[in-house]
Amino acid sequence: MSTPAIVGNPLREPRIIFRRYAIIAIAAALVLALGKYTIVEETDWERMGSAAEIASTTLDFLPDLAFFPETFLPLLETLLIALWGTTLAVIMAIPVAYLAARNITPHPWITYPLGRGLIVLSRSTHEIIFALLFVSAVGLGPLPGIMALAVRSVGFMAKTTAEAIENASPGPIEAIRATGAWPVMVFLYGVVPQVFPIFVGNAIFQLDINIRRASILGLVGGGGIGYMFAEVMQNLRYDRAGTIVVGITTMVILGEFISNRIRNRII
Amino acid sequence: MRSQTAEIYEGYLSNRRGAQMWKFVALLAFLVFAVWSIDVLKIPIERVLGMFGPLWRMVSERLMPPDLAYVAQPKILRSIVETIGMSVLGSLVGILIVMPLAWFAAWNVSPARFILYPLARIIIVIARGVPTLMWAMLLVAIFGFGPLAGTLALMTATIGFAGKLLAEQVEAIDMNRVDAIRATGANEVLVFFYGVLPQVWASWVGIIIYNWDAQFRGSTILGFVGAGGLGLYLREQLSVLEYHTAMGVITVVIVLVILSETISHYLRHRLY
Repeated sequence: MSTPAIVGNPLREPRIIFRRYAIIAIAAALVLALGKYTIVEETDWERMGSAAEIASTTLDFLPDLAFFPETFLPLLETLLIALWGTTLAVIMAIPVAYLAARNITPHPWITYPLGRGLIVLSRSTHEIIFALLFVSAVGLGPLPGIMALAVRSVGFMAKTTAEAIENASPGPIEAIRATGAWPVMVFLYGVVPQVFPIFVGNAIFQLDINIRRASILGLVGGGGIGYMFAEVMQNLRYDRAGTIVVGITTMVILGEFISNRIRNRII
Repeated sequence: MRSQTAEIYEGYLSNRRGAQMWKFVALLAFLVFAVWSIDVLKIPIERVLGMFGPLWRMVSERLMPPDLAYVAQPKILRSIVETIGMSVLGSLVGILIVMPLAWFAAWNVSPARFILYPLARIIIVIARGVPTLMWAMLLVAIFGFGPLAGTLALMTATIGFAGKLLAEQVEAIDMNRVDAIRATGANEVLVFFYGVLPQVWASWVGIIIYNWDAQFRGSTILGFVGAGGLGLYLREQLSVLEYHTAMGVITVVIVLVILSETISHYLRHRLY
């Protein structure tokens, strides 16, 4: 019955403590260098003015409530753009997910990388970039906005759907295949019923995100409330800009609340 | 015996008729909505059908191939560093602000449920409700052009994005351990550091990395409204209709975003 030797906490050894602090110090130095480089050197401090000026500009943004009714139509437009963009994305996501799901893709070396590539391209390009390209191709208005949102959202929808398909139970799929059904039928009757609830939940989530995205498309000519916002900012009507910000915030928060409610009910 | 079967069959038929009715009504409602919304949005139908030609010409002739020589200039490389710097600083400062906010905004351990809880929730909701690009425009109006406004916009976006996720993690913790710390007579700050933080730390680090990834994605276009970073050159090249060089910038943005996503994915998987 010897008493166990008291072992020191290995994490308290000087070598480890030194290494930990060294990592923190290097990270801090890196961050400070980045901060000096990006913020201190690149900012026009002269033009910013004093703290009082900054405060007075900030106060200019206090909302002008009389302007509020005028934002209703653009807000409705934004909502419709989000709705249409999501609808198109949902439709386009089905074939892409079919290509990008490893277990049902027609060809693992040709169609699978194609589907994955489309997903990566759609997910890593910002909606503003898509909107710019569509605006310069088809002109101003809600149409390029809808197209941009659709193309932007396909990636997420197809990715989550493909993952759901990959996780689908193989039993029903094999059963349908055993009846001699061709691939499209196998997909429709073996896969779709299994992934449908997940798909709908993700579509609602995507709609919620797209409301937020749709509100900035107007900055580059994609229609919706963003266009009005860009206009009032250019005319230096900051009070109106404040009103629009309040309107967008209300819409986005309401959208998030409703979409959470519906999703909790479905899943 | 026979009548029972017939009853079941009739019930099935009427159910099916009902379902078909509903499908029909839904389809009709959708069509009415579609016509109405196209009218509200003033979308010219003839342009929808004719847009694929110009779109294809745009991609095949004007955008492709991207001009990568333009992108290799030192000024672009410097602005890539600036973009990364903005995203790192914005998410770092934002995270430092949002960690206490997430603590306040978690109902189960909030130190003051009737003052700090609603306050923290309101801050997070407002930061979340306004899109990042719009924050950037507002902050550019206040602080002037440059990466300071962009960094602050990313900081705000971090508060909104990470705040909700971090608070959700805190609300899911095991309260027994919190109660155990509280039973020793520890004050709220000590309860947070010894009862809450050890439980959520692993998932918080994952969220922090994920947040950086998300903010980096946003930072690439902030230059569009003059808030610093790579977006400035994109706007510049597009406004003079230099599509090949603009496509070069877009290519760089896409590559950087894929890279950041890969890094964040790798780091998060190494953690768990």
